[in-house]
Amino acid sequence: MSEAGVREHKPRPLNQRVLLVGLAVVAPLVAVLTMNLGRNPHVIGSPLVGRAAPDFSLRPLDGGEPVTLASLRGRPVVINFWATWCVPCFQEHALLVSTARSLAERARFIGVIYEDSEEQVRGFLARQGSAYPSLVDPGSRTAIAFGIFGVPETFFIDAEGRIAAKHVGPLDAQSLEAKLRQAGLAP
Amino acid sequence: MTPRLTAGFALVTTALLLAAPLAIPQQPAGSEPSRVVGPSRGRALAGEVLAARTEEVAGLLRCPVCQGLSVADSPATMAVNMKAQVKELLAQGYDQEQILAYFEHSYGEFVRLEPPLRGVNWLVWLGPVLALAAGGAVVAWTLRSRRRAAAEEPVVPLPGLGPGPDMLPDDPELARHVRRVRELAYGWPDGRPPGSSS
Repeated sequence: MSEAGVREHKPRPLNQRVLLVGLAVVAPLVAVLTMNLGRNPHVIGSPLVGRAAPDFSLRPLDGGEPVTLASLRGRPVVINFWATWCVPCFQEHALLVSTARSLAERARFIGVIYEDSEEQVRGFLARQGSAYPSLVDPGSRTAIAFGIFGVPETFFIDAEGRIAAKHVGPLDAQSLEAKLRQAGLAP
Repeated sequence: MTPRLTAGFALVTTALLLAAPLAIPQQPAGSEPSRVVGPSRGRALAGEVLAARTEEVAGLLRCPVCQGLSVADSPATMAVNMKAQVKELLAQGYDQEQILAYFEHSYGEFVRLEPPLRGVNWLVWLGPVLALAAGGAVVAWTLRSRRRAAAEEPVVPLPGLGPGPDMLPDDPELARHVRRVRELAYGWPDGRPPGSSS
C-alpha cells in the first residue's frame, strides 16, 4: 500500500556556488556595519588636526583691539568655542577659568562666542567669572573655518600656530592637561 | 531726448554693463579662503545669478548639524551662516570647486554631498552599476544553463511510465492494459506511439 500524500524529502545538497556568491555580497555589508555601528556620526574626525590653525581677527566682547591668531604665537593657545545656551559649556567653564588663572602666562586661553547674544554672554561672565577674553564671531565665519559643528569644541594650538589637538564636548581636567601637553605646554 | 543723446546714453550704459564682470573682486587682505584655496578663479557674481548659484553650491554641501540635509535646505543656524558665506565667496569670484574645497578643508570630505571621485569613493559611484551588471550576468547565465539542461534531457512524452523503448510497464498483464488504454485514449494503433517500432 503506497503512502498516498506522504512524500519523502531528500535533503538537497548544499549549492556551493550560491553560497559563495551570497557570502561575497553579504560579507562587505557586514564589514561596513561592524566598523561603523558603534561610531557616533556627529563626531566628525577633524582634518584640521596637524594643520596650521585658521587665521582670524576678532573683536573682544569687552572692546579693545581685535585679537588675531598671529598675535598669540609663541606659546600654546587654547581656543574654546562656546555659548551660554549650551549646558556642557557651562559645565566646563569653571575648569577653563581656573586653569587659565593657574597657568597665567604659560598658555593663552581664548573664548569664541558661537551664535549667542553679547548681552547674554556678558551676563553669564559676570555671574560665572572670566579669566580670558571672549571674542565675537559675526556670521560664525571663524567657527566655519575651524570646522565647528556644535559647542563646546576646543582647539589646542602649539607655539608655531599648528592645531595639535581638538576636543569635542565638555573638557575634564585630565583631557585638558593631556591636550595642553600635546600643544607643547612644558610640565 | 535727441537721437545723439540716446545713442550716447546707450553706449555708456552698454560699456558699463560689459565692464562690470571684468571688475576684479575685492578680497580682504590675508582672508582665510584665499589662504586655503588661493585667489578667486571665477567671475564675481551678483543679483539673480548670485542667488541661483548660491542655492546650487549650497545644495552640494552637507549641513554639519542636520547631517541628512544640504546647507541649502537646512534650517540650522550653522547652515544659514555657511550659506551666507557661500554667497559671499561667489560674490567675490570664487568658483564652485574652490568653495567646496574650502569647506572640505575645515570639515573633511564628509561635508560634500557628492563624494569626489578619488580613492574609495569610486566604489560608491560604481558599486550600484557593477552590482546591476553582475546581477544581470547571473540571470543570463542561469537562464542559459537551464535552457541547455532542458535541451539535453530525454523527452518523455508520457510521464510516469517505466523505462524501455516502448515505455511500457514490465508486467505483461499491466502492459496489455496500458496498450489498450492508449489505443482508446490517444488513437494509437495497438497502443504504440506513432513512429515507434513494434
